[in-house]
Amino acid sequence: MKTEGSVLDPGQETLLDLKLDQLRSELSSVQAPEVMEARLAARFRKARPVSQRPRLWWMPPLALAATIALASWILRGPVPEGDGLVTVAAPLSLDADPDTPFVALRPLDRIAKEDGARIVTTEFPRALLADWGLPVAPDRAGEPVRAQMLYSARGEPLAVRLLN
Amino acid sequence: MAMPPEDLQPELALVERMRRGEEAAFVQLYRRHRDRVYRLALLYAGSAALAADVTQDAFMHFIAHPGQYDPARGALGAWLCGVARNLARKARGEREDATDPADLADDANPHAGQVDAHTPLESILRTEAAEQVRRAIAALAPHYRDVLVLCELADLSYAEAAQLCGIDIGTVRSRLSRARARLALSLASYAGAKEAVS
Repeated sequence: MKTEGSVLDPGQETLLDLKLDQLRSELSSVQAPEVMEARLAARFRKARPVSQRPRLWWMPPLALAATIALASWILRGPVPEGDGLVTVAAPLSLDADPDTPFVALRPLDRIAKEDGARIVTTEFPRALLADWGLPVAPDRAGEPVRAQMLYSARGEPLAVRLLN
Repeated sequence: MAMPPEDLQPELALVERMRRGEEAAFVQLYRRHRDRVYRLALLYAGSAALAADVTQDAFMHFIAHPGQYDPARGALGAWLCGVARNLARKARGEREDATDPADLADDANPHAGQVDAHTPLESILRTEAAEQVRRAIAALAPHYRDVLVLCELADLSYAEAAQLCGIDIGTVRSRLSRARARLALSLASYAGAKEAVS
């Protein structure tokens, strides 16, 4: 390799390049000892045991758990104490008169917040009362029953009052 | 002898994966550079055992301080060579003031005593001709040997060698020229002595 401002004549330059080529050629066959790789890999593992996981590895599982909890809460709503029904007044008899108070099918505070709720007079099989946790005599399960339903604006039953 | 520019992206991706703790990425980087670093260490250290230690320590340094490598300042191979060079020089007790410009006023070798004391006697290459050149390079003053090894034998560019030695490119060129002249002289005198003996 001819260098800038060389003090060697061309013959000396060529001879030196030949010598350096001999060294390069010999060096190209020299390899690092094999044993070093295992040692260094072990050192790498020791030096970085906690960084095998990304720094924010806990974020995805936490987000998943939060999503499941939120979805569960939305679907089930707050769980009321007892059997799930809040009685507005005294326990209802199936033979109560039209002034019988409504039986809440949803928590009272939720019903209180409902805007646009409406009362609808309807008739349905008495057996349906069992779904709301109300007592039904087996021999009268097939009879129709008249009732007033309190519906939310979206059509969700909020409370029921039996009429006969 | 400067290498052509290479695409650094795949290597930088490996470095990033290594920094995140991926052992496979580190092993890949190690396999890419181990021989080059070891050969350089061999030229500086002058013994296979010390070269192995220097190579291992250079990669240990990389493991412990991966953030010290700045891709904006050059290729990883050149950086590792720089680490190995510094470790080897430290191991041999070479003084950094060898690069004092005053030392370069003429071709005198202000570190002759130091060089003689450290010139390795161990034969580490198979062929005599190559071993003779290696010994002659090892006997050069550190500031000459530096540029000769880095530019002629370790495939670093002038710019990389300049950055590594903390000098400008013009100084690299002039030192390389002088280093070659001194090496040629040394090899010629060795050949003359050999002829006289035979």
